[in-house]
Amino acid sequence: MVIGIRKKGGCRGFPAAHEMKTILEVKNVTKYYGGGSVVTKALDGISLTVEKGEFVAIMGASGSGKSTLLNVISTIDRVSSGEILVEGKNVCNMKEDDLSAFRRDKLGFVFQEYNLLDTLTIGENISLPLNLKRVPEDETRKALKRVSEALGVADQLNKFPAELSGGQRQRAACARAIITSPALVLADEPTGALDSKNSKILMKTFELMNESLGSTILAVTHDAVVGSYAGRVLFLKDGKIWNELVRGDRDRREMYAEILSVTAALGGDADVF
Amino acid sequence: MFSKLAFRNVKRQIGNYLIYFITVSLTVALMFAVNSAIFSRELMEKASAIQELRAGLIALTVFVSLIVAFVLGYATSFMLKLRKREFGTYLTLGMTRKNILSVFLLESSILCLASLGTGLLLGLMFYQGLMAIVSNLMEIDFFFSAYSLNGLLLTVGLVCLVFVLSSFTSAVYLKRVSIYNLIHGDKKVEKKVRFPMVWLAVTILSLIAVVGACVVFSAEVEKTMKNGGSGLDMLICFVVLAVGIVLFHVGAAKSIVHLLLKNRRFKNRGTNTFTLRQLSGKLSPNAVMAGALAFLLAFAIIGANVSFVQKVSNREILDKGYPFDISAELERGKDAVGFDEAEKIIEKYATIDKKIAYSVYTSDDNYLHSFTQWSGEGYDGLTDTFMTESEFNALYGALGYAPIELEGGFKIIDNDARMDKFDFSAAVLQLSGGPYFYKGRESGYPSLGYYYFLAVIPDEAAAGLTVSYDGAAYDLKEETYDARALREELTYEYTTQNGYTYLKCDYRIREYSRMEQNANTAVFIIAALYISAVFVFMAMAILALKTLSGISEDRRRYEILYRLGASKKEQSRTLLKQIFAFFFLPFALPMLLSIPSGLICAQIMRLGGYASVVSEVLCVAGGIALVITAVYVLYFSATYLVAKRSVVRE
Repeated sequence: MVIGIRKKGGCRGFPAAHEMKTILEVKNVTKYYGGGSVVTKALDGISLTVEKGEFVAIMGASGSGKSTLLNVISTIDRVSSGEILVEGKNVCNMKEDDLSAFRRDKLGFVFQEYNLLDTLTIGENISLPLNLKRVPEDETRKALKRVSEALGVADQLNKFPAELSGGQRQRAACARAIITSPALVLADEPTGALDSKNSKILMKTFELMNESLGSTILAVTHDAVVGSYAGRVLFLKDGKIWNELVRGDRDRREMYAEILSVTAALGGDADVF
Repeated sequence: MFSKLAFRNVKRQIGNYLIYFITVSLTVALMFAVNSAIFSRELMEKASAIQELRAGLIALTVFVSLIVAFVLGYATSFMLKLRKREFGTYLTLGMTRKNILSVFLLESSILCLASLGTGLLLGLMFYQGLMAIVSNLMEIDFFFSAYSLNGLLLTVGLVCLVFVLSSFTSAVYLKRVSIYNLIHGDKKVEKKVRFPMVWLAVTILSLIAVVGACVVFSAEVEKTMKNGGSGLDMLICFVVLAVGIVLFHVGAAKSIVHLLLKNRRFKNRGTNTFTLRQLSGKLSPNAVMAGALAFLLAFAIIGANVSFVQKVSNREILDKGYPFDISAELERGKDAVGFDEAEKIIEKYATIDKKIAYSVYTSDDNYLHSFTQWSGEGYDGLTDTFMTESEFNALYGALGYAPIELEGGFKIIDNDARMDKFDFSAAVLQLSGGPYFYKGRESGYPSLGYYYFLAVIPDEAAAGLTVSYDGAAYDLKEETYDARALREELTYEYTTQNGYTYLKCDYRIREYSRMEQNANTAVFIIAALYISAVFVFMAMAILALKTLSGISEDRRRYEILYRLGASKKEQSRTLLKQIFAFFFLPFALPMLLSIPSGLICAQIMRLGGYASVVSEVLCVAGGIALVITAVYVLYFSATYLVAKRSVVRE
């Protein structure tokens, strides 16, 4: 059942057709856990594509396979079968060292628990991916200034994570995720540790990252509010894509209502507005 | 129920407690071996030094136990803090503090008993190993030694004391800490180091103090050995050195990382920021610990050096002080065992191969001493000592020395570096057939009597002098014999002018002296090595435990690095740098101190007239540094591999 229709000419969280370039292709991916007599099928032949500049949310109930999907896309976990292509490159065949370089160069991460290093200052946390890439110091400084100003954390750079609020920490994590201008930003329950006010601020940040900074975002979430900011929402059930919702020209409230109705049909437990 | 919980906890925490357990077991084993040696009947028969030094050795082992208690107390307290949340949960579930304290003390007791049992079992072997080392040092055949109940009781008592003391601080902490702190206490806020530049200044000044203390100590050694002295300045140098070592490490731990973080180019390369921040989080709060560990290691290295120097110098001391198998200079007119009687006694134990008789003369004045510091007030009654050219050449010719050339004058013979500064060029001896002019000074001849120096004069010059001592030197056919029994037979009761009576032996018996020296040296070396080994164990255990106790935090941090794209190689390299720097900080300076301590030991040997063993002393210093480095590298590698397996993600 497909509820929304993708429209030509571009809309919120979705690029215009002439700008379309496939960033992510997931082809018939299956993932099994366990062994012997107890085998769990976490992903069941999933296929999807994400275009450059898209903001895609993946929703579903607990155990639906959304975190597994994110883990295999982020190369933190391996697929049992199928292919995952990022910018046309199959990440399933890559060797360990290439995968590290791939994560470093092509992916940006935003986690539920921020995953900022508590021993590093906010500035050092944000710069770390560029340091790992051995980017020269002056370029790193410029990039740090650019992203920290864009995400409103420029005046927090010398503080340690513990000295910041949850919302500020998550914005810093977003800045770290986009400082390398990755092909794809992956977010795992980004608002999971935030209150509703900070959740909204974060989603505005995601919107900014997507619309103004051109980041392609794939976010896994329980939160219907987060979903309502996305250009497209994929609903997972029992390891399969059960539904897809495209925002099109609808405003966020309409999108939110649509998500709730799909969630209800799914029998899910999305957080309410 | 609590005992079941305590058993389960120990089982569950086995990974965390393993290094702690191994270290305590090894320390207990060493303690048991040394304590058994202190009470060993077999050893006592062979080395009277053990008996004489028993009280001191027991004090030493108690002192070592107190250090162990302090270090283990520290280790226990941070192991406890690792489990704050667990204890907090117990409290929220309704357990009382008393219950928790019982669980904790029960866990400590289980560990104590397990370590004590393992340590004692290991100690049974260590003891025989120790006896093998002792017999080797004493140059006697290995003897299997019976175990002593006293040694066992002393060990058990000390281990119990160590555990009571080391559990005390943790028990106080558990009794006072709030539930909130237990549950939320692990949320650390990274603290910035205050006044890093001040700490940098402290580091530099401390380093200067350490270098200065070594230089001044060396100069003081030279001064004291040449002119004599109280040694107070040397003691001050030692205190400055100790304080300098501690402050250097405290300062370095609080300033180096900060300085490197200031260097943007360095900081922004790869995982350098991550490594530096990891180190900052570990070094700064442990600055005092790093200083204390460095002090323990420096002490261990210096102690081991000094003890081995004694062993190296023994042979040389024996050759210099006891060139003949037996020799004696008997004062005329005083009670003594005469040469005829002595020869009969000697023949009961060994065969006399050769005898050289000689006389030592005196002029009954101190003319030659007036050219030295040993005249004037306090040196009344000290008279010049002479030997004739022919007797001197006969005596030392037997030892392989070339005949002395007097060129018609006289020569001064000494074995004392302090003599270098005295000028005898104006000395003229007015003796029979004289005057006799000073023709130079010669050193390096083994001494047979108790005088600062003697003058060798032409035979005719002795005509008017008085014989003060009759001397004889014997070479024996046998090298080993019952020298202890021989000495006993040559000993007699001597009563002083004040009416005091004591046992006296005028005969210098080389074999007896060798046995005594070896026994003393063995006791000294074993004591020094015992302290060194315990200190090195403690230092390594603390570093390893500190590193491994942070593994869960490190695992989380390295997981983030992995997700951000750090390859396995990069993570491994980062972890290696992190652990290496943490291990290296308290290790580098003490290891470098091997150089001045080796050089100063060599200097002492040279000034003491044992120049031939200088290179051997330096080799021993290098050897000790190598052995400690090897043990350290082994411990570091084990810690790194355990941490890597748990932290680095593939």
